[in-house]
This record gives sequence, structure tokens and C-alpha cells, in this order.
Amino acid sequence: MDIDILARGLVAGSLYALVAVSFNILYRPTNVFNFAQGELVMLGAMIFASLATVLGWPWYAALIITLVGVGLLTLLIDVVAVAPVLARSQHGTGWVITTLAASLIIANGVNRIWGPDPIVVRPPAPLTTDTFSLAGMTVSAYQIFLVLLTIILVLAIEQVYRTRQGKAVLAVAEDREAALLRGVNPLRLSRWSFFLGGAFAGLTGVLAAPVLYASTGLGPALLLKGFAAAAVGSIGNNRGALIAGYLIGVTEALGAALLSPGYQEAVVFLLVLCVLLVWPHGLFGRPFARTV
Amino acid sequence: MAASVAKSRSLPGLLVQAALVVIVLALPLALDPYGYPLFVATQLGVYVIAAIGLNLLAGYAGQVSLGHGAFIAIGAYATALLTVDHGWSFWLAALAGVVLSALMGVLMALPSFRLSTWYFAFITLAFAQVFEKMIVEWRGLTKGFAGVVGVQPPSVFGHVLEPAGVYWLVAIIAIIGFWLVNNIVHSRFGRGFVAVRDAPAAAQAAGASPARLKLLAFVIAACFAGVAGAFFAVQKTVVTPDDFTAEFSIFFLLTVVLGGLGTRWGPVVGALVFFLVPELLTGLESWRMMVYGAALLALMLFAPHGLVGAARSLFDRLRPKQAAQPAETVPPEAAHEAAHVERPAISGLSLEVKDLRKSFGGVVALGGVDLSVAPGTCAAIVGPNGSGKTTLLNVVGAYYRRDAGAVLLGGRETKGLSPQQIAGEGLGRTFQTPRLLGELTVLDNVLLGAYRRERASLAGTMLRLPGAMLEAAQLRAEAMELLAFVGVADRAHDLASETPHGHQRLVEIARALMGGARLIMLDEPAAGLSLTELDRLEQLIRRILALGATVVIVEHHLDLVASIASHVTVLDRGAVLASGSPQAVFADAAVMAAYMGERALNDPPAGDLCHPRPAEAEGA
Repeated sequence: MDIDILARGLVAGSLYALVAVSFNILYRPTNVFNFAQGELVMLGAMIFASLATVLGWPWYAALIITLVGVGLLTLLIDVVAVAPVLARSQHGTGWVITTLAASLIIANGVNRIWGPDPIVVRPPAPLTTDTFSLAGMTVSAYQIFLVLLTIILVLAIEQVYRTRQGKAVLAVAEDREAALLRGVNPLRLSRWSFFLGGAFAGLTGVLAAPVLYASTGLGPALLLKGFAAAAVGSIGNNRGALIAGYLIGVTEALGAALLSPGYQEAVVFLLVLCVLLVWPHGLFGRPFARTV
Repeated sequence: MAASVAKSRSLPGLLVQAALVVIVLALPLALDPYGYPLFVATQLGVYVIAAIGLNLLAGYAGQVSLGHGAFIAIGAYATALLTVDHGWSFWLAALAGVVLSALMGVLMALPSFRLSTWYFAFITLAFAQVFEKMIVEWRGLTKGFAGVVGVQPPSVFGHVLEPAGVYWLVAIIAIIGFWLVNNIVHSRFGRGFVAVRDAPAAAQAAGASPARLKLLAFVIAACFAGVAGAFFAVQKTVVTPDDFTAEFSIFFLLTVVLGGLGTRWGPVVGALVFFLVPELLTGLESWRMMVYGAALLALMLFAPHGLVGAARSLFDRLRPKQAAQPAETVPPEAAHEAAHVERPAISGLSLEVKDLRKSFGGVVALGGVDLSVAPGTCAAIVGPNGSGKTTLLNVVGAYYRRDAGAVLLGGRETKGLSPQQIAGEGLGRTFQTPRLLGELTVLDNVLLGAYRRERASLAGTMLRLPGAMLEAAQLRAEAMELLAFVGVADRAHDLASETPHGHQRLVEIARALMGGARLIMLDEPAAGLSLTELDRLEQLIRRILALGATVVIVEHHLDLVASIASHVTVLDRGAVLASGSPQAVFADAAVMAAYMGERALNDPPAGDLCHPRPAEAEGA
């Protein structure tokens, strides 16, 4: 067993953690777990790749357009596919089916526009994907940047939840009606969460592109591993998602190295099943349930 | 749904069903015995079997499986491998496939059934994705991409079945499956499934365990998928990984959504209509997922009960309305009649709460509450909003886990019991906002209460065995009697969602009584009632007390409390502010301060302080 597995696991785990955080941003005030999230990450990667690599735009311009574009599309999913279903019944899970439907539509649409060929994306200078040896691991500057940036993003988002607006989000998640009575507008917060959750998914796609290449097949795998990180790390807990992301990334790399690359999904799946069997609410605490 | 129950038992309904069975069974006589149409018809039957199971799971129990294709794959691969490679008979191999499928179903359901429904959707989706990879990966077992070739049709009494024979076998199994699921849907299990989907707390209050019901629904659905898989293998004669892609699972989901989630004929109609669509879509192959996605979205938004639901609402609109009954007011003589229903005496339970504590995060909801209720008496809990009244009921009922303290029901400590177990001990309750199952009739809602009392086994219920039918009929009669007791017998066959608010509260009380409650907790039963309804409620509570049951009532309506309660406990910010007889408590200055604010005390309103008007109390 070599230590490269650890490096691969941490890099992949960072990406899973980012997908999980994008789930959490959207989930916290709405209690909706968007099944289109994987395809939104994929879409972010594709838009950024097209603008930056194919059209040669500067990276910051491509990044802004990607974030706004994916965010607006997610907002559209809320308006068209989620809000009407929730309006009919707050308890129903109709949104499971409607967000899945949105995911199918995005996947098929993107596939028709871009085709199956992956696009290589280079990170902006001075970052490169050229590998070098560090403490026995083969890594690139971009990989190190990705792992560090993920930690910074998670900590920054935790700070956001300490602000007034952030607390309002938590209040709505806990008790929609009580928050309404205290002057918080849940509808507006839901819309913002969809936009920001989508934009964060787009950002995840941009960050993933140099590592995984931008390809239309990214969606399903990132959806499920992002879910795995969110569930193992306790839904809504971003630090938990980060640690769970690492756990899943390293487990997957180990499974691929020790068994066969074909087994990596199965190993992750078993890990999630076992964790949820013992700790149904994930490793990092349970949310309050005030239901009756 | 409820309307269709009545319809199906009617003579024209039975004739239509008999005619359908005859047509289905006679079909091969009209077709080329080795032709493509018969092949397609058999395949349709296979899909109907799987869809019936998925509809029970996703439609009735509300647990969306996004990986149902994988369970069909288990049945298909088990049958194909065991017959081709190991020479097993089809029947044994199919049985093994069904068992394997059900076992995998349990494994998938176990981690998720304590959690929100969407976990289950994710886990099944992930399972299908992993399983698809594993079929290819375990080449030694599954023969990889090449698949298993040459699956033989089953033999019956030593005769290998011709294609028409296979068709008949599939058709008969589909018809029996339809019948079995229909019987489940109209039993206590079916009511439990709908309760798990629409109001899990109501299921628990009725003594039903949501986790067990979800598991049951999933095992049944997995068994149906396993059977469908076995015939899938036989009918196609070849089983390859390409048959079981993610698309295959989405196809089944769309089938039941298209036909109508939670409708009896939905899976049949959906399979019939949708089965023809891929044939039409061959020119649009590359757009298929887009079409599936758009169809799922449009159906969920505009026809949540699918084609069957849309057809039914069209039918209801076209049919001339029956003479509308007055919605709100019930003739006084009906209320009077209700009083004459004789009910057996109830031996009331005592309730003892000692130093009960519960916090949510940093918020102390209950900070050491004591309460003592003697059997057969009525205790009231009052206090301003947010004082912990409903939390107290929820901790007593084990809907919330207590932080500390003791709760003794009939002298027995309830620590460690689940809400459904405590319900089984004789604790009934109603909810602040009534938790009725809107898509079921009022009568079915009351019957849900008897979930724990009904003894008939699943098999007896499914097969409509005499014992199970007799018990069901007896409980039905008792439920009717209880509806008469609470005074809403005339609405027994209306949908719960269409009954007025005041009646819904009474139905909830009937449901609690149906469960054999010996102590009933009423959470703000008077909220939103008209004066006449309030009067009826008071009479009803008196009659329940007269039977011997214990009543604990949380209420803002102090007139009602003063008139029926023998003991009042005032909560304020999670602590007991005062406790004693209504007269003594309502004369207490501290109580009035908590309720109406200091200013109201210094400048008392014209009126009797002992009987503040409810409007003032609620405004506080």
C-alpha cells in the first residue's frame, strides 16, 4: 500500500465534501435534498470549460458567468419543480421525483449540446496540474490548492451561518411557522438558498474540472458520493461533510487499490449503509426533530 | 380511492373486472402462438407485476424507490443462472430469486427506515448504480457483458410451456398479484401505509410502527420485483447487464407515476400506455431521458394521481352532484341521538409525571414539570403560547425523548417505550392540527385507530380468509358505532379531506377511542370550533368521562376548562405556575399575570376574572 492513496483520497474527498456542502446550503432552510445537484455540478464544469478552454475567456469572467448561470437554473428548478409540489403538501416527497426529473432533463440536454467528449481544463497560473513529489506522495500544486480551498470554504460558510441572515436560515429550517412570525420570509430564503446552493454546485464543478476533466458523465457519481458525504457527516453539518468527504474519498481509493477500480462504488456504498445502520443521523450529531 | 372501494364491490364493477379477466386470458387465442404480439403481451404482463409492487411501495407507503430495476435484475439473474448453469427447475430458481430480492430489499431498507423518506430514494438509486457495475465486475458469476443465454421456459406437470403457456402463467400471476395488493390496500396494513405516507405521527398514535410498515412495503415490492425478474428471464431467454441500466429503474417509476401513484389501476394503466411509448419513441432514442424527465415533471405537477386520477376527477366532475349536505351545521337532533349510543365502560388509566425535563438546544421547554391525574378524571393544562403544553403531551407520548424525569402511565414507568408501544398501553391522543388521512374515508380513519387491536395475519388479510374478514367486519361495525357516539356517523363514507374542521376533531377522538384508549390527551380540541360545535365537544368529553376514561386536555378556552376539568395545571415557560381546582387556580393573581400581562391586572377588564373571555386569553 502506498501513501499516494491518501493523496488521491483527500483530493477526491474534498470534491465530495464540496458537493455535500452544496446539498446542505440548499437543504437547511428548505428541507429539500435536490436530486439534480450532481448534474448541476457537471453543468458548472461544462460551462466553465467551454468559456475558459474553448472560448479562451479569462478565468474570473468564466467563473462568474458559471456561478450565476447555474444558480439561476437552480432557482428555475425551485420555481418550476419544487415550490409547486411543496405548496400542495409540505410533508410529501413529490420533490424527490420532480428534482430527479430535472436531473434527467439537464443530463440529456447537456449531452446533446456538448456530446460525450471530455474537455481538458487547465487551472489558472501559477497553479498547474504538473505533479511533483512531496513527502513520498505524487501531487500537483492544483491538488494542494483544492484541498486547502475546500477547508477554507467550509469554515467560511460556517461563519456565514453565524450572521443574522444565516441564523434566519437555521430558524426557518427548524420551525418555518415560528420564523415567519418573527418576520423572516421563508419563501425568499428558499429562493436564495436554491440560487446559492446551485451556484455552489457550479463552483464545485469549476473546481473539479482540472482534476476530473469536464465531461457530461460526471453527474451521477458526484450526486451519490456527495449524498454519501452529506449523510455520513450528518445532513446540514458542513464540517461533518468535510470529514466524511475525506473518509469516503480515502475508502474509495483504498477499495480501488486493494480490490479493483470496479469495486470503488460498492465499497463506498457499503460504508454508507454500515454508518447509517449504526448512526442513522450520521457521525456528527442529529438534527432536532420537532415534528408534532 | 375510497369511492373506488365502494364501486368495486358493486355488481357492474365486478362484471367489468370479470370481463377484463376473460379478455386477458383469451388473448393468446386471437394471436399467432409464436408471434411478436404475444411476446410483447407477455412482457407487458411482467412489467405489470413489477409495477404493482412498486405502486404499493411508492404510491401507498410513499417510499420512492429509484432503483427498482436492480430488484428485478436480482430475480432475473438468479433464475437464469440457477436454471442454465446449475440445472435447477424454474420454480425453485424463481423462488430463490424472490427470496434474494426480498433479502436485498431488507438490507436496503434497514438503514433508511428510521430516516426521512428521501434517504431511501438515494439508497435505492445508489444500490441500482452499484449493482449495475457489479454485474459486469463479477464476470465469473454473471458472465459479464455476454450475459446468461438460453433460459428455458418453465414446465408444468412435466410439460415445457409454449409461449402461450408462459403468457397465461404471467397473466394469472399478474391478476393474483393485483388481487393480493388490493386486499392489502384495503386492510389495516393499507391504512397504515397511507398513514406512514401522509401523517406518520397519526400512525404512531394508532399504535402502528412506521419503520415496520415501511419495511413490510419494501419487502412486498421486492418480492413482486423478484417474480417479475424470474419471468423477465424466461420471456427474453437472455439476461445481460444492458437490460438493467439506470434507465430501466426510471422507466418503472414513470410507469407508476403515469398510471397514478396510489391508485388501484394505476400500475396496469401506466404499463399499458407507457409500454407502447418506447416502441413509438424508437426514432427519438437519444431524447428518451429528456422525454422521461419532462413526463415525470409534468405528471407530478399537473396530474399527481396520474391518468387514473385525472380520469376519476373528470368522471366526478361530469357526474351530477348528489344533493349536497349542509357542511357546517348538524341538526340538533342528530347530536342528541349521538348521546344514546351505548358504549362499554372504560377503565381509565392514571398519569403521574414527576420532574419532567426537556430542552431543545438551549431552549428549556420543560423545566421540571409535575402532574398527577387520577383515573377517570379530567385534568386540564393551560398556559400562554410557548409555555410547553404541547411539548408535555409529546414527551408523555414519547414523540420526544425526555431529558430527565418520570412518566408513569397506570402506575408503570414508560421510559424506553416507543410512541406506538405507549399507544398500545392505552394512551390515545388528538393533534393540535387534526392529522387525518385526507385521501381515506372518515370510517377508514377511525379504523386506523384499531391497527394494533386487529389480530389477523398478513396472509389472512391478503387471502381474505374467513377469520380475517369476520374480524374486519366487526371492527367496521364498531367504528360506525364510535362515529355515531361522537356524532358524525352521517359522514362515515366522505373523504376526510372533505369534512369540515369541527368534524375532523371529533373523528380524531373516535380514532383514539377505537384504539382502546384509556387515557385520552386532547391538544386544543376547541380551537377553531363554532359555539354549537363547542357545546357538542363539551358534551362528548363528559360522555367519555362518564364511561370511565381519563382525559388530559390542553386548552386555551378557559370556559370549557372551568366547566369540565376537576384539576387545572398552569404552565409558564416550562414550569408549573399553579395547580389545583379550576376555581382556585383562576383566582390566582400570578396566573392572570402570566396570561394577560401585568397591565391587565392593574386595570382589570369589566367581567369576572375567574372566567376570562377566550378572546382575551388567546390574545395574550
